[in-house]
Amino acid sequence: MERSFHREIEALKLGQGDTFHGEGILAVTKALLQSGVTYVGGYQGSPITHLLDVMVQARDYMDELGVHVEACTNESSAAAMLAASIMYPVRGAVTWKSVVGTNVASDALSNLASPGVMGGALIVVGEDYGEGASVIQERTHAFAMKSALWLMDPRPNLPTIVRMVEKSFELSEASNTPVMMELRIRACHVRGSFDTKDNIAPAISTRQLQMQAANFSYDRLSHPPATFRHEKLKYEVRLPAARRYIVDSGLNEHLPGRHEDVGIIVQGGLTNTALRALQLAGLADGEGHTDVPMLVLNVVYPLVPEQIADFCRNKRAVLVMEEGQPDFIEQEINAHLRRAKVDTALHGKDLLPMGGEYTAEVLLKGIEAFMAEHLETVDVQPARALSTEVAQLRAQASEALGGGVPQRPPNFCVGCPERPVFAALKLVERDTGKLHISTDIGCHSFATFEPFSFGNSILGYGMSMASSAAVKNFSAQRPVAIMGDGGFWHNGLLSGVSSALLNQGDGVLVIMKNGYTSATGTQETISTPEQEAKQLAEGNSATATETTIEDTLKGMGVKWIRTVHNYRVARVRDTLKEAIRSPFKGLKVVIAEGECQLERQRRLKPIRARRLKEGLRSVRVRYGVDEDTCTGDHSCIRLSGCPTLTVKASSDPLRREPVAHVTNGCVGCGLCGEVADAAVLCPSFHQIEVISNPGWWDRVSDRLNRFFIGLLQPA
Amino acid sequence: MSPSNAPFTILIAALGGEGGGVLADWIVECAVRQGLPVQATSVPGVAQRTGATSYYIEMLRQPATGAAPVFALSPVPGNVDALVASELLEAARMVERGFVNARTTLVASTHRVYTTLEKMHMADGRHDPQRLAGAAQALAGRAVLFDMDVLTRRHGTVVSAVMFGALAGAGVFPWPREVCEAVIKDSGRGVQASLAGFGAAFDAAQGGVVDAEAAAALTAAELPQALRHDWSARLKAWPEAVQRLAAHGALRCLDYQNRAYAQTFLERVDALVRACPPEAEVARDEAIRHLALWMCYEDVIRVADLKSRASRFARVRSEAEARPGEIVRITEHFKPGPDEVAAVLPRALGEALVRLAERRGWMGKAHFGLHIRTSSLWGFLMLRTLAWLRPLRPRSLRFAHEDEALRAWLAAMAHLAPRTPRLAASVAGLPQVIKGYGDTQVRGRQNYARLWATHVKPALVGEVDDAASALALEQALRATLADPEGTLNTAHARTPAAAQPIFWAPRRPGGDAAPSSPNA
Repeated sequence: MERSFHREIEALKLGQGDTFHGEGILAVTKALLQSGVTYVGGYQGSPITHLLDVMVQARDYMDELGVHVEACTNESSAAAMLAASIMYPVRGAVTWKSVVGTNVASDALSNLASPGVMGGALIVVGEDYGEGASVIQERTHAFAMKSALWLMDPRPNLPTIVRMVEKSFELSEASNTPVMMELRIRACHVRGSFDTKDNIAPAISTRQLQMQAANFSYDRLSHPPATFRHEKLKYEVRLPAARRYIVDSGLNEHLPGRHEDVGIIVQGGLTNTALRALQLAGLADGEGHTDVPMLVLNVVYPLVPEQIADFCRNKRAVLVMEEGQPDFIEQEINAHLRRAKVDTALHGKDLLPMGGEYTAEVLLKGIEAFMAEHLETVDVQPARALSTEVAQLRAQASEALGGGVPQRPPNFCVGCPERPVFAALKLVERDTGKLHISTDIGCHSFATFEPFSFGNSILGYGMSMASSAAVKNFSAQRPVAIMGDGGFWHNGLLSGVSSALLNQGDGVLVIMKNGYTSATGTQETISTPEQEAKQLAEGNSATATETTIEDTLKGMGVKWIRTVHNYRVARVRDTLKEAIRSPFKGLKVVIAEGECQLERQRRLKPIRARRLKEGLRSVRVRYGVDEDTCTGDHSCIRLSGCPTLTVKASSDPLRREPVAHVTNGCVGCGLCGEVADAAVLCPSFHQIEVISNPGWWDRVSDRLNRFFIGLLQPA
Repeated sequence: MSPSNAPFTILIAALGGEGGGVLADWIVECAVRQGLPVQATSVPGVAQRTGATSYYIEMLRQPATGAAPVFALSPVPGNVDALVASELLEAARMVERGFVNARTTLVASTHRVYTTLEKMHMADGRHDPQRLAGAAQALAGRAVLFDMDVLTRRHGTVVSAVMFGALAGAGVFPWPREVCEAVIKDSGRGVQASLAGFGAAFDAAQGGVVDAEAAAALTAAELPQALRHDWSARLKAWPEAVQRLAAHGALRCLDYQNRAYAQTFLERVDALVRACPPEAEVARDEAIRHLALWMCYEDVIRVADLKSRASRFARVRSEAEARPGEIVRITEHFKPGPDEVAAVLPRALGEALVRLAERRGWMGKAHFGLHIRTSSLWGFLMLRTLAWLRPLRPRSLRFAHEDEALRAWLAAMAHLAPRTPRLAASVAGLPQVIKGYGDTQVRGRQNYARLWATHVKPALVGEVDDAASALALEQALRATLADPEGTLNTAHARTPAAAQPIFWAPRRPGGDAAPSSPNA
């Protein structure tokens, strides 16, 4: 795994009277233990990855408590784990990135929500509309509404997040309904502190076994006619129970303010941003005291009609701050107010944008408009001036910079084994012309950025093969589907490979065998190299000897499989070309093997350091470009895109264009040399070997070489 | 938002994999150790792979007194106090997004990591670094730019340690350097290299060298080591001419009032330096000179203090060519009036006295002569007693008036310097019309008030053409200085000038958003 959570694991062990300092998502992890969970599962993905990673690394401690931790193969299997809470009084939590993960899990979620739960069940999802979001612009809220799952959206400070985790289990048990908690990306990564409690070892656990399986109960199955009763229970029993609990436990917060004739209803997760916007408008102070009364919805579904009506009654106007679209909450509030015959003017998406992240700047504009209409007594000028100032600032910046600065999207790491495959693919296109490329989720989707710009569709994790199923039937040239091993095991094996085999479909699938789910932090899959293989491989690729993927494909009946080592760019190019042009009708799989460089370097660094320390001979390899032969056309960069292959000013007074240059960050993967060879680029590239602690032979040969060269060398 | 609870905000712009998260953790840890409320957030996501990424920290600069503060999770344009960027384009990106303004101390590396788009160009797709740096310098209140990459490699560390040192060196943290270093030490990995990188960046961020004359002045003043260190660090950031003026000015203010007062002076200098573009260099230097003089206006306390010093005694002695064994006596001739007395009284009392004196017609008349022999114990004690009033000075009537006018003048400078350096240069020289004591000073004040009302104020609200008003003020200033008797005042005054002897400057010139001095 990419990150070590040694310190965080210690923080999980804190007890009554201690203070936890750390990230929001790790506070959730701690809160789960304080709530006495029996089991935890999930599938990694930003921003909730750390919740699971830290638990996986803390296995020994989890075992001590009797808590079972499962790194699931996808969100569907994580959601299905919650079935344990249907029939047993055990608490459980699962986590994934929403909304994508919730889509994958939704089958299990529907059938979990139907019978409801006995033990508290919590689903922690990462949600975002902002700059860090790769999540599509949909809302977990919709899932909560359609399946009747309760949805928490806590204020983004650690004490509230922790309290809401604990209350979620109680809410879940009080209403026999699973609870979801959405956390925005910045809330997951927020650093703060809270006072901890002792962890609770669950009553039923891996250490306290349940001796007898639960009795058969048809009522607990999602199967008709039980499901008709479930539906009735949802709105007649569970929903009222949930609303009662929400009110009785004070889950939503009412912040009083002196302008009592107006108000703001805000999603809990937006509260801090809303308060900052109010502060900028001169309507709040730094401690969160607001002039405009606020109803903070730490539970955004269900709403409590009486609570909403009570808040709005006697107010002329209320502004709803609800991030994302459609405006589920605003619509619901409207309905509740109509029924309660409260005629408060309701604003929301009319003054605030329908989509996009609600930053303080965005909210300020909405508040400004709301003030102008309903807060005549307050001077709106300062708020307006601020907005104008920001606009002017941006204009000034744009002028000073002379236009926009270029984007810097994420890229393959230095030495990444996936880059050569795309370099090869670019070379293939020189022969075949433009190819249809079905792309997938994972590190390899960085190939959609410059200099590669590959990909015609991204449909979902492990879906690339399936998404070329129709295209391949009407394309003169075979399309290429690209998938990582993470995506392959998550979904691609079934939705892509088995479907192609069932339909005897033609097609080309490239599987990036790097050994890990690298994009989310190099979590393990079932084809991750064994510890032994890694030790044997040392600095070499440990995935070379790992054949689980090949064996699986063979076992399923794939006839055309080629495994190539990524760094042999010419070989990769030829194999790809062969797959595209082969007369063989049927699925052709190219397995591009090359272990994740992050893992390799992590293994290699200590080995290297140890060798140097022990005075053992060691060789460091890197590449270089000769400045005097480089013509500065940068085609090497267009084929590689390595961060260490860059440009620098030429020292030649006759040249004005910058020359290519390899920085010292080079790990010597050799791609640039390979590309220069395969693409017949230019003679400027060279490999440099640096020998530390040379042996006698190194020294003798070096001396001899230099002596003779010296005799012949011109100045 | 009231300044007392406005959070201090730090934005970190970096590339994925550079350890921006570690840096954020370090800063949080420092704040926690100092007992300061703090919150940090980030959006690492997939940007971990060399893409642009950012981390955001909010904290209070003092421990929370009341309720815990509510911190926001993302930066608001125009509301970032400190921004550190590990690379020049990333600094520019933040400038582009509106996160850099006069409030911001921008600390950025000048080295470039080219984006793929720039690199893959057939010829030269690189952005002009001058332009990027220029934008950063133009918009930031203060820009500290140096090559962090060189330091990172030289010390075999990661850029996060260098960025940490740069922020500390730029003086943005409300805690001393040692706290940062202790946190690095306790972080456990690569400590030596991190510390080396931190230290190098700390020095680099302090930038430049202390001008020799300024350094000599500081050394000669025999300041406590910590203070000299602190001041030198501040001076380094400024041009040499400013350093000399600032060193002398700070020493003067220290001597005049106290350390905090000198600190205020340096902060005002800093604000002037920030406000003045290179074209306004003349205005800047002139303004700093006058700032020092103005802040150390001569009142009874100051005079008494200066006169009762041993150095003065020695000087008098040597000027009198007194030989060893000879006795020297010094007698002072004072003639204070009600206004001088009122000046050192607490504001309310002083105002009452002024009103009384005006009603009774004492003003300008009721002076009483005092001959004090400073060389006698009695006289000396009298002077020292007056000098001991020094701590009360900031509450005095005169101080209140001077300070108010001074702030208005500083705000005008900040407003005019970037817009019209020529006019700013004249305004910078405006305080020279206030000179001396007694009547001279009253005239000077009237002159100042007249020039302010007729030239500066219209220029601030933009009623007149800048070039024309610069010329007009230059001429008026020359004429005023050539008019020791103050005839111009009576000629111009619509109302008797003496009727408004004290409030001769508006509170905020032009009523616009021109930044005033940092502690205004």
